[in-house]
Amino acid sequence: MEPVNTLCQDGESEGGVLAHLEKLEVQMSRSHKKSEELPRVQRDENVLRTKIHELRHLRDKLRAEVKRRQARVKACSANVETNQTAEISEQQVLEKQKENVKAILQAYRFTGLSGKLTSRGVCVCISTAFEGNLLDSFFVDLVMEKPPWIHHHSIPVFIPLEKIAAAYLQSDLQRFLFSLCEYVNAYSGRKYQADRLQSDFEALLTVPLQRNSLCNLLSFTYKVDGRDQSFSFSARLLYEDLTATLPTDVTVTYQGMEASTHWEEHRASHEILFRTKPLHQVFASFSKEVEKLDLSLVS
Amino acid sequence: MAFEAGGSMDAEAREVRALEAEIAALQRRCQELPAPGEKPSGVRKSCQKLPQSDSEGWESSKDLRSHLGHLKSELSFLSTLTGFNIRNYSKKIEAVTNTEVTEEGTTKVLQRHRLSGNCNMVTFQLEFQVLEIQTKEKLSSAITDLNIIMEPTEYSELSEFACRAEERRDLLMFFQSLHFFVEWYEYRKHTFKHFKEKYPDTVHLPEGACSHCMEIHSTSRPGFELVVVWRIQINEEGKVSPKLDLLTKVPQRALVLDKNRVIETAPSSFQTLLGVLGIEAALDSLIKLLCVGNN
Repeated sequence: MEPVNTLCQDGESEGGVLAHLEKLEVQMSRSHKKSEELPRVQRDENVLRTKIHELRHLRDKLRAEVKRRQARVKACSANVETNQTAEISEQQVLEKQKENVKAILQAYRFTGLSGKLTSRGVCVCISTAFEGNLLDSFFVDLVMEKPPWIHHHSIPVFIPLEKIAAAYLQSDLQRFLFSLCEYVNAYSGRKYQADRLQSDFEALLTVPLQRNSLCNLLSFTYKVDGRDQSFSFSARLLYEDLTATLPTDVTVTYQGMEASTHWEEHRASHEILFRTKPLHQVFASFSKEVEKLDLSLVS
Repeated sequence: MAFEAGGSMDAEAREVRALEAEIAALQRRCQELPAPGEKPSGVRKSCQKLPQSDSEGWESSKDLRSHLGHLKSELSFLSTLTGFNIRNYSKKIEAVTNTEVTEEGTTKVLQRHRLSGNCNMVTFQLEFQVLEIQTKEKLSSAITDLNIIMEPTEYSELSEFACRAEERRDLLMFFQSLHFFVEWYEYRKHTFKHFKEKYPDTVHLPEGACSHCMEIHSTSRPGFELVVVWRIQINEEGKVSPKLDLLTKVPQRALVLDKNRVIETAPSSFQTLLGVLGIEAALDSLIKLLCVGNN
């Protein structure tokens, strides 16, 4: 229990309220002695009245003191509360900032290159896409020493990773990553086109699609329906540029029938189409072409 | 009288007892509360109670700070590594309810993204939508809408390219090509600056270092000028490549005297030179040609 009386600096009740009470008690016992001379009843009455008067006075003072002390506690804890609130809102601010930065880090995958720092370097994630279709992701785990090296990766074996690494990894990390991006993304795009051809236009393929793992050599036979006849064309697509999603070399040939000038036009135009448009889009345009063909036969 | 006195005395006695009780209670209360002037140890006690229950709160604020610091350094690293500085990003997700039951268990989610930042001197603002379709077999995502705003707008090649990317909704191609465009831009700037420093009197950059053409003046033969125009092209597939051309500015009299049609064939000869020597060496030899006259 704190020695209230010694520490109180309240000028009004020097020595504290309890000390005051003590004084009053002393006073009362003194006055009690004084009033012993008076007739007993009167004496008692006087004593009581005085006592009540003093007690009331003391009680009021105590009430005031309690009120004062309560107010101080309230103010003090309110202060603490504001600090607490400030602390909490700072936490909220930090939390929000953290979520914001996290979101931006996630958004990097739309650029094709994102990653996370590791204890030894960085794990880069290469995201691929073809004309807005989000495709597979691949990773390269790099140890950032001088010079940096690849710890492990998920790049398919047929992508010339070693060649690209030998050319750029030690000298220009950014160049290495973007170059690798080009190869991986192009592969992903070619694969997507081949997959779409197989899934969407299976009916048109008389000989199923043959492809290599790099998807840069494709061959297939497809039929084109005219009004009276149906013709078969055989196509061979070679993508020499591994960073491209369009073939560099296209050969379309007739399949087992005599050439005619009529179909020669189509054969030639198909070659051009395959060289300039994505594979599945070329097939999608074939139906329209047949319509045009029908019209030309009529005229 | 005595009766009255006794009665009032009883009341007074009761009052005394009541007052004493109240005083005792107030005294106890007073002792509980800290006196003014003393350090509110009582208050401190109640204060300490608060953070204690929230001590995880205080600790995690420190944790938050270090976590945030780590994330920020990761962001800074990625920004330097890729050359893309993404400054703002937000995402809204809307679940598209598939009311027509075409296939069982198919859910579609539409995401709206907003992204802005810069790649070197080019700033971009993108808004795009991604549609995620989850069927039993697989999850496919595709960009269904793309809007690109780029600054600066004076590079016509860039604005054409941005339109094409928008049409195809090819966000990835936008970023990849932007990177290579900026790379070539920086290389052109660096190369032109190098030649200006090496041959200050002969080489003139009409638009400063960011110029897309370099003039080679012959000081000994005023009126003779070669202009190298260096454009950065982005083709249909998003491939970025430099396109250099040579223009000649020669007085009429010289043209007449040019029996071998050297000046006429200069532009195509320049292309051959480029193919053989590469950009820097080709430009260097071209400048030296005119410099011969200068010294």
